[in-house]
Order: sequence, then structure tokens, then C-alpha cells
Amino acid sequence: VLARPLPPSGRLAILRVFIVIAGVIFVAQLVRIQFVQGQGLRARADENRFRLVEVRGQRGVVYDRDGQLLVRNRPSFDVVAIPSNLPSDSEEARAILERLEGIISQAEANLPVHEQEDEAAEEETSPGIGQQGLPQFRERLSVDETMEQVRAAMQGGAYRPVVIAGRVSPETAFAVAEESHHLPGIELSVAPVREYLTGPLTSQLIGFMGPIPAAFVESYRAEGYRPNDQVGLAGLELTFEKALRGRDGRRNIEVDVNGREVRTVGDIFPSAPGNNLVLTVDAQLQALMEQALLRGLENAKAQVGVAIAMDPKTGEILGLVSLPTYDNNLFARGITAQEYQALLDDKRLPLLNHAISALYPPGSVFKIVAASGALQEGVIDENIRLGDSFDGRVDGIIYVDNRFFPDNPRYAQPFYCWIHTYGTGHYRVNVREAMAVSCDTFFYQISGGYRKTFEGLGIDKLVDYTKIFGFGEPTGIDLPGENPGLVPTPRWKRLTYAETWAAGDTYNMSIGQGALLATPMQMLNATAAIANGGILYRPQLVRQIVDTEGNVLEEFTPERIRDLPLDPDVVDIVREGLWGAVNYPNGTARALTVPGVTVAGKTGTAEFYDPDIPLTASGRLPYHAWFTAFAPYEDPEIAVVVFVYNGGEGSAVALPVAQEILRGYFAQKYPPQPLEIGPGEAITSTEMLPGIEALLTDTVPITATGASDGGGD
Amino acid sequence: MRLNLRRFDFALLGTTLALVVFGVAMVYSATLGVPNYEDYPLRQVIYALIGLALLLLAAAFDYRLLTTFQWPVYVVILLALGAVTVLGQVRGGASGWFDAGIIFIQPAEISKVLFAIVFAQYLASRHERLGKPQWVLLAFILMALPAILIYMQPDLGNAIVLLVIGAVMLFVADIPWGYIVGAAAAGILALPVIYANLQDYMKQRIDIFLDPASDPDASFNIAQALISIGNGGVLGKGFAEGSQSQLHFLRVRYADFIFSVIAEELGFVGAVVLIILLVIVLWRLITIADQARDEFGRLLVTGVIAMIMFQAVVSIGMNLGLLPVTGITLPFISYGGSSLLTLMIGVGLAQSVAMRNRKIEFD
Repeated sequence: VLARPLPPSGRLAILRVFIVIAGVIFVAQLVRIQFVQGQGLRARADENRFRLVEVRGQRGVVYDRDGQLLVRNRPSFDVVAIPSNLPSDSEEARAILERLEGIISQAEANLPVHEQEDEAAEEETSPGIGQQGLPQFRERLSVDETMEQVRAAMQGGAYRPVVIAGRVSPETAFAVAEESHHLPGIELSVAPVREYLTGPLTSQLIGFMGPIPAAFVESYRAEGYRPNDQVGLAGLELTFEKALRGRDGRRNIEVDVNGREVRTVGDIFPSAPGNNLVLTVDAQLQALMEQALLRGLENAKAQVGVAIAMDPKTGEILGLVSLPTYDNNLFARGITAQEYQALLDDKRLPLLNHAISALYPPGSVFKIVAASGALQEGVIDENIRLGDSFDGRVDGIIYVDNRFFPDNPRYAQPFYCWIHTYGTGHYRVNVREAMAVSCDTFFYQISGGYRKTFEGLGIDKLVDYTKIFGFGEPTGIDLPGENPGLVPTPRWKRLTYAETWAAGDTYNMSIGQGALLATPMQMLNATAAIANGGILYRPQLVRQIVDTEGNVLEEFTPERIRDLPLDPDVVDIVREGLWGAVNYPNGTARALTVPGVTVAGKTGTAEFYDPDIPLTASGRLPYHAWFTAFAPYEDPEIAVVVFVYNGGEGSAVALPVAQEILRGYFAQKYPPQPLEIGPGEAITSTEMLPGIEALLTDTVPITATGASDGGGD
Repeated sequence: MRLNLRRFDFALLGTTLALVVFGVAMVYSATLGVPNYEDYPLRQVIYALIGLALLLLAAAFDYRLLTTFQWPVYVVILLALGAVTVLGQVRGGASGWFDAGIIFIQPAEISKVLFAIVFAQYLASRHERLGKPQWVLLAFILMALPAILIYMQPDLGNAIVLLVIGAVMLFVADIPWGYIVGAAAAGILALPVIYANLQDYMKQRIDIFLDPASDPDASFNIAQALISIGNGGVLGKGFAEGSQSQLHFLRVRYADFIFSVIAEELGFVGAVVLIILLVIVLWRLITIADQARDEFGRLLVTGVIAMIMFQAVVSIGMNLGLLPVTGITLPFISYGGSSLLTLMIGVGLAQSVAMRNRKIEFD
């Protein structure tokens, strides 16, 4: 059956027209996009795929003076999520993140946990931490936090990695890598971080790094830093930031949509590593000093202490220990908020470098200043004898008349010598003996005078000499956060307390008490200036800046702060006084012996007031223990200061620490010569003595070289 | 019945196969270097070969026999779509697929051509009475049932394609202009209601089209498509050398955004060649519909025309930033076995109509 022929359709003709119109519109739009906007869109396509990549220059490393490596860089792993590579199904993504969390926490559970000490000690100093901003906190995101960040990143169309766990241990990174096929979207990214090989031993010197502090963002940016860069925040890491910083290189790469490198395009500008530091510090001596100081603190049941050793002829610091300390590796691997808070809350201020940032009354060590001033100004000569026997009693007490009732002895104020507690005085002593036995009444008088019978140095001159010795100003050591200290003057007292300077204030200051405050570094520097014949050097920590090939770029030479305006005779007399303290039979430091080496030194026992520390059993204020020394006396090559906070007597507490340090130093530097046993048969010292310990415990009788001209007995 | 090869439209077959080969090549380029997609080009080739066999089979088959199976076919469509919708909801997520061994069949795709058969017979048998409201109403119900089931999968794109197929067939079936104007007016008035009932992701796509900044992630895709097309220039970056596609800035590049890959790698010339090939295919199909022996054949081919035309316009329009993102693929080119099989069966049916057209033969 033939169907009725179908007429052509008008409606189909309309479809033809529609198709032609659509085709024309599409071609027109193609022309618009590919030709009219083509250039701009091609530029955006290039922006998409080309990246200028900064290639990080390795930061310089740090050596001690013998070339022992103290700081190096190690690769550190961040566990990151690439949001676009995670399964888009949020349940699947969550399952992956939970699996990852399990792997990380299991791997980290096997690591040794940093022990938290919860003993607290009293501390009166104000924090002057040489640290400018917040540290690098440990990044650990929970599953929920990660999900939230991943969601936010997906919304932004970004493929930037979300850091789930920053700076994990290599063990953890390995555990994650092993499971990587079960963890789509999870990656490890590698960046170098610092490894402080000597950790807490040198953390007060070397410091640590962290994010650029908010306050300094602009100035660092001006130096070419990028916002995520890490910079030195404390210690030498901060002071020598410029030298240590590596120069970043750059190259153009082509990346895919996930930012992964596909290939390098065009020229490469190589990165350059930073320069290395060679310190003046001897790590072996540093360790010995820390051990000695720890023992000293333990014996004194004290918790805060400082020991510094310096070459008095150059100002080079050989070792610097401030206890308690902290582990700067915590900062390198990212510190947890709890760990950081614990460090901040610790009343002993472990982040504070007590050697340069904390202030203490110097006590009797300060007598070298009063003696130098009085001798130089002709207030005394080397033979004049002063004592406490003006009133006919040798009891270690002298009196200062009341200003308003000078003739009434009932109102006179008594000033005691330390020996007063033993019921006696030092009789009449000359300046050498006064230094040796640390006779307070002698120094009261040479500084403040005595009634109308003896004219002293006077407060103005005393202040001048105090400042000449470097007190009241920073020593300029290469560490941030140095405290200048406080040198009280009549003007200062008037402005601060609205009180007039009294004769008693001068008395107190002459023996390093009163309002006078100094850092242990300043004390050492003053001692070193006497040891070396009258030159105040800037303490230095860095000997050389060297490049990676070992070429010396910068050699540090001794820097004089000033030559003390003292006659050589004056310096000699003060030096002899310090010799006497160690070598007179009644010297305060007579307990100190170093085999084969003549030592000079000065003890100090400085009273301090702290509302939290109870008075001693005899109702007196607590003491800090001080001791400074230098050796060999004839040609000093090491000067030492030891300070023990609330330690008690300098001679009993600080001196043994200094002795251990000096003995260790000389045993290490001049090992005992092999002894001739028989023909051709030699036994080396190491065979005879198992180690330095044996030497340290070995006491050798005193060999005084100077003639004893009699202590003030 | 004797095969009449002289009436077989070799030009249509040639352009169709040219498009399919073009598609396989672009799928290869778009999936290059991605382990998850590395078997896509081969699968596409296999589907193309199966599709060619089905095309020839359908051409040999007398389309007029299809009228017999009108209602059973319609029931099968609804059952298949219903089953997939229910299963999809049970499984959650990836729905719309039947796992038939190694080959996955998407009922939503195949139902488009099956619906065209059913609907063509429905309209052809009532051609003289189409002005009557009850038949128009029933036509709408016939369209709506499968469309709703597809929409519930949820697959807004194919639901719209199915509705458009029905609408174009009604149009060509000479439905009075009054209904067309009325439907257009009602559609415009109903737009807010439709919008309010859309699923969230669908609303979002429309919002993004109207205001690209509202979703940076989705507008990223659109922006990257425009960058890719602009990056192409006259002759393109070269096959498999487009930076936007090879570095994966362009997403879903083997399906929704394959036009952008073509425009980037083969440039203005390649894109215009593609458009011309599609226009030729549609032009030949309209000629076949125009010369069809009977109303059923004409409307059946019209259904195929509507499917290819609408998908091509929406997909290219989306790539060119003229239309919102719908997930509708580019016919013959985009990766997708069910879609390719459906399209080639449609072309085969058109060949069947062509070989039995109303021209008087003298042999």
C-alpha cells in the first residue's frame, strides 16, 4: 500500500534556520575569544603554567673554635593534604585523614617524650629575652580542622597544600610514606630546618629561628625576605642572620594544575648557601663548664647560675653557660603551645640568658674598681693601712655619723665588715691585703672617707671609675638582649627616690652593694681588664665567618672598648691583690688550687632582697655567690666568672665551680707530659689517667710564688 | 524487504564517522598521561565499533516495524529508569548506570532514542487530531514521566534533552502555534517555580552562570575553558600539546569541556571544522526527515535531530561561556559509551528512514 506522499515541512525549514544561526553565533564567539581577547587569554594561560620558583639557599652552619660542628641543617618533613587530590566524597576523605592521624600518633608515640620539669625557683630579674616574636609552633591539625581547611581550600579553587603535621620526625615521615598508597591526596613536603647538635648546651648562645616577627615584617621584606621565611629570633641566629642566610636562587618551571613541577623552562639562577660561623667558644670547655656549674648548683641547692670563660687578652668568649637552659631543638621542630608556655611560666626564666640579660648586685668582686680608683686618684698608696680600730675595738664595725647629730654616737650608723659575724675585724690592712681578705671596712673608707680623719674617693669619682670599667653600659657582646645594668648616682637617687645621696650609699657601693647592678658578663669583663693590664675588650663570640669552601671572609680581631686610664703600677697592685686572695694563707680564695698554674681571683658574696626568699637562719638577707678569676697569673689566657643565684658564700659555692673549670681548661690545653719510666719506654698521660675526671679530683699542694707580706691578721 | 543501498546516505555516514574519529582522537589527547583515564580512548573505539554495527543494523531494519512495539517500549523505558533511580538512591552517589558486564549502559541515554520512537508513533497516529487538548495533554504526560525519572537520578541535563526532543517533535508535528505560544508563556511564568524546586547543585550552576564570582571553584572551570579557547589562536597549540588541557587546568576535559580542548589544540580552524561537520550531519538529517515516506519516519528522525542539535548547541554554548554548565556532552565527540551508542543508533534509524523515502524509484 503506497502511503499518501508527505509534503515538505515548513517547521523543518525553521530548524534549518535555527541551526545556521547557532553556527554563526558560535563562530562569531570563537572569533571574539580567540582573536579579540586572544592575547589576554594566552597571557593567562602562561600565568597558569609558569612559576618562578625560589630555590632556597642553605643556611650557614656553625662550628666551635676547634671545628666541631654545632649547628647544621636537616631535611624536615611536613605531612600535607592536597585538597584537590583528596576524594571529593567527604566520608572517604575523612576516612583517609583518620587513618593518617592513626599512623602519625602511633609513630610519634614511639618517640622519646620531652620531660617537663615542674620545679620552680624564685627569680627577681625582669625578662629581657633576646627574642622578638613568637616561635614556630608545632603544627598539628585534627581531622575536623583538616576537613574544614580542605573545604575552605576547595572553595577557593586553590591547590595549595594544607599542612596537617608540620616538621614530623623522619620516623613518622617514613611511616606515612609506607602507607602512601592508602592515602591519596596526602603528601610529604621537604624543607630544611636547623639541627642543634649541642642542643641545650649552647642554646643560650646560638638561639633559634622562627617566623618573621610581626613588628619586623616590613624591614625583612625590604631585605628580600618572603613572608613565610624563617629568621633568627634569638642568640647568634639573630645577630648573624645576615651572614648565615643563604641566598635564594630561582628558576622558571612549568607546573600542572596541582602546582606540581612538569619541567624547567629557560635559565636557572642558582642558589648560594649562607656563610658559616666559627665561634670562639670551645664546645668541650663549654660542656665542662656546664657540668661544673650543675654540680655547683646542686651542692648549693640553687637553681640559677652563670659561668663564663674568656680570653682576657682578646675578649674571645671560650664558654658561656647560663642555667637553667632550654633545648633549642624544640623550636627547630616546632614547639607546642604547652611547651612554650611552660618555658615562659618557669620562674627561673630558662629562655633568659642570665649571663648578659639579668642584673645582680656584684658584691665584693666590685672592690677591684674601688681599689683602682683610690690608687689612681692618690687617695691611698700601696702602703697605707686602714682598718676598723679607730674606736679601739677590732670588731669589724665602723660608724657613719648621723648627718644631723654628728656628735652624738648614739645616732651613728654602723657599717659591718663580713668578718664581723666571726666577732673580729681585719685590723689594719693595706690595699693588697684588703683585696685578699676582702676587708669591707677598708673599702668603705677609701671610697666614702671616714669622719673627718680620712678623705675618700667620693661618690662622683667612684661613679666615674665604675663606668670606666664598663658598668652601666652594654659590653657589646654579639648576642641580643643585653642589659646595660645600673650605676647609681646622687642624681639618679634624687630622681628615683627623691632622697639625697648619703655617705652610707657610697660605703655600700664600694663593696658592690646598694643599688648597683651588673650582669655576670660585665663582672668578667672588668676582671679581664685588670688581668690583661688595663684594656677593656668587647666580648666576642665569633672568630671567623667562612664560606662553604672554607675561605675566611671575615676574621674578627680584638676590639678595645677603651684602655683604662690607670697607671701600670695601679693595675699591678690590684692584680697582686687578686693574687693574694688566692695565694695568701688567709686569702678568701685560698681554697683554690690548679695544678701547675698560678691563679688570681676575687670572691663575692652579695646580699640581695627578694620578698619570696626567706632570710637566713641568722636573720640575714640571702646571698648570691660570685667568683672571678684569671690564670696563669703571670700571663693570663683565661678569665672566668661564676655566679650562683642565692647560692651563699662565694668562696664556698662559686669558687669550686671556677676551680673545676680552670683545672679542666689547663688539663685539656696542657696535658701532662709523658713520664720517662725506663729507657725507650714511655707511658702517656692518658694511660696513666683514665680521663680528665681523674685530674680534676687530684689535688696538688699550693705553690705560691709571690712573697707573702703578711695578711692583716 | 529489499535493501536499497542507493538511498543510503553515505554523506551522513561519512560525516558521522568523521565526527566519531575526531572524538576518539580528542578523548585520547584529553586523557593523556592520566592513569585513571588511560583506557578511555580504547573503550571509546570499542563503543564506536559496536555503534557502527548497530547503526548498520538499524539502517537495515525497517523502521515501520517499530510502530508495533510502541507501548511495550515505553513501559521498558519507565521500568529501566525507575530501577536505576531506586538502585541509585540505595547505593548513594554514582547512579544512572546499569552494570552489564564489561559494558556500562546508561538508561537515561538510551531512553532518549527509545522515547523518540514511542513519541513519533504517538504523534503520527494522531497527526490530524493534534489540535485537540486531550491529545496534547497526554503528549505532555508521555514526555513528563521519563523526564521526571531521569531528573530524580539526578540528571538534569538528560531530563532537559528528553523534554526538548519531545518539544521539537511536537513542533514538527505541526502542533498549532497557539499551543507553542501558550507553552512559551506558561514556561516563562513558571520559571521561578521551577528554579525553586531545582536541586542545589543545579541552582548553583545557574547562579554561577548568572554571577561567575559566586563560586570561585566552579567559575574556575568556566574561566579555564575560556582561557583554553583563547590560548588556541588560529591553528592551535597542536594535537596533545595544549598547555591548559595537558597540564589539567581544564577539568572534565574528556567530556563536558572537550570543545575547549579542540579549540586550544586545533585552534579556530579545528573548532570551525567541528561546527561545520555537526551542521552537515544535522542538515542531512533534516533532509531525510523532509523526504520521509510517512509522518512516523519524519518525526522519528526529528527526534534524533533534536537530540544532536540541542546537545551540540548547549555543550558548545557552555564552553564558549554563552550558556550555563549543565553536564550535557558534545554529541559524537565526548567520551561516553552509552551516549555514543544512542547517537549512532539514532543515525542508523535515520538511514532506515532515508532508504525507504517517498521518492519514486525507477529501476
